[in-house]
Amino acid sequence: MRFTTKQLTLCALLAALALALSYVEGMFPAPLPLPGVKLGLANIVTLFALCALGAPYALAILLVRVLLGAMFAGNASALLYSLLGGLAALGVMALLVRAKRLSVYGVSIGGAAAHQCGQVAAAIVTLGSLAPLAYLPALLVVSVFTGALTGFVTGMLLGNRFLKNVAE
Amino acid sequence: MNRFPEQKPNRYDALVILVVLALALLCAARFWLAPTDGAAEVVVRADGAEIDRLPLADAERTYQNNGYTLRIAVTAESVRVTQADCPTQDCVHTGRISRQGQSIVCLPARIVITVEGTGAAPYDAIAG
Ligand SMILES: [Zn+2]
Repeated sequence: MRFTTKQLTLCALLAALALALSYVEGMFPAPLPLPGVKLGLANIVTLFALCALGAPYALAILLVRVLLGAMFAGNASALLYSLLGGLAALGVMALLVRAKRLSVYGVSIGGAAAHQCGQVAAAIVTLGSLAPLAYLPALLVVSVFTGALTGFVTGMLLGNRFLKNVAE
Repeated sequence: MNRFPEQKPNRYDALVILVVLALALLCAARFWLAPTDGAAEVVVRADGAEIDRLPLADAERTYQNNGYTLRIAVTAESVRVTQADCPTQDCVHTGRISRQGQSIVCLPARIVITVEGTGAAPYDAIAG
C-alpha cells in the first residue's frame, strides 16, 4: 500500500472525521442499555473509504480511529467493542461492494447489521455469557435505520466531485 | 479503479433488509419461544461465574465485582438494579425484568443478572 501525499492527507482527515463521529454519537444515549454499543455513525467514513480508496485504506483508517478513540476514552473494554464492530462492518461491506448488485444503501445496512453483531460478540466475550444475545434482535432492527441513514450520507459524499478528485 | 456503488436503492437492497430482519426474528424467537421451566429464580453471575442464586421474593442484595458495586431489589415478580456506581448506569436504566430468559447486564462490573427457570439454565456461561 503506497500513499500519495494527497491520499495520506485524505486518510488522516477521514480518520479524524471518524473519530469525531464516534465522539458525537457517544453523547447520545445508546440505542439499548448495553454499555459501549454505538449507532455506528463512523461507518460512513468506513464505507466512503472502502469505495473511494479501497479496503486496505479503509482498514488503516478504522484501526487508527479505534485505537485513538480508546485512548481518548481511556476505556479498554470500549476498544473491543469498536474493534469487533468496526471490523465486522468493514468485512461485510467489502464483500457486499464486491457483489456489485447492491446500492450504497444495501451495503451500508449490511455493514450496520454486522457492526451490531460485532458489538454483541464483544459483549459476549467480555461478560463470558450469552446474555447480550437478547439485545441483538432490537439492535438489528435499529441497524436497518442507521444503515439507511449512513448509506444516504455516504452516497452524498461519494457523489461529491471534490472528494472524488482527491481520492483518485 | 474502485467501483462506486449506485446511489439509488434497488430490490437487492430490500433483500439485505429482509435478511437482517429475518436474523433479528430468529434471534428473538430463541428468547420468546424459550420454554419456561418451573418456578423462576434470579441468578447472578460475575465474570461468567455464578455468584448468587435467589428465589423471586422480597430481598435486597449488594454485589461487588471489577471495582463496581451493584445493589439489586428482588420482589415476588421481578428484579431490578436499584443502585450502581458504574459510569453508564445502563444496568439501572434497564429497569425491572421478570420473564425467564431476561437479563440485566452491567458491563463495567461484568455482572449479569438473569431470571431463570429452576429446571435449567438457558444461558450457559462460556468456558474459559
Ligand atoms: Zn451498571
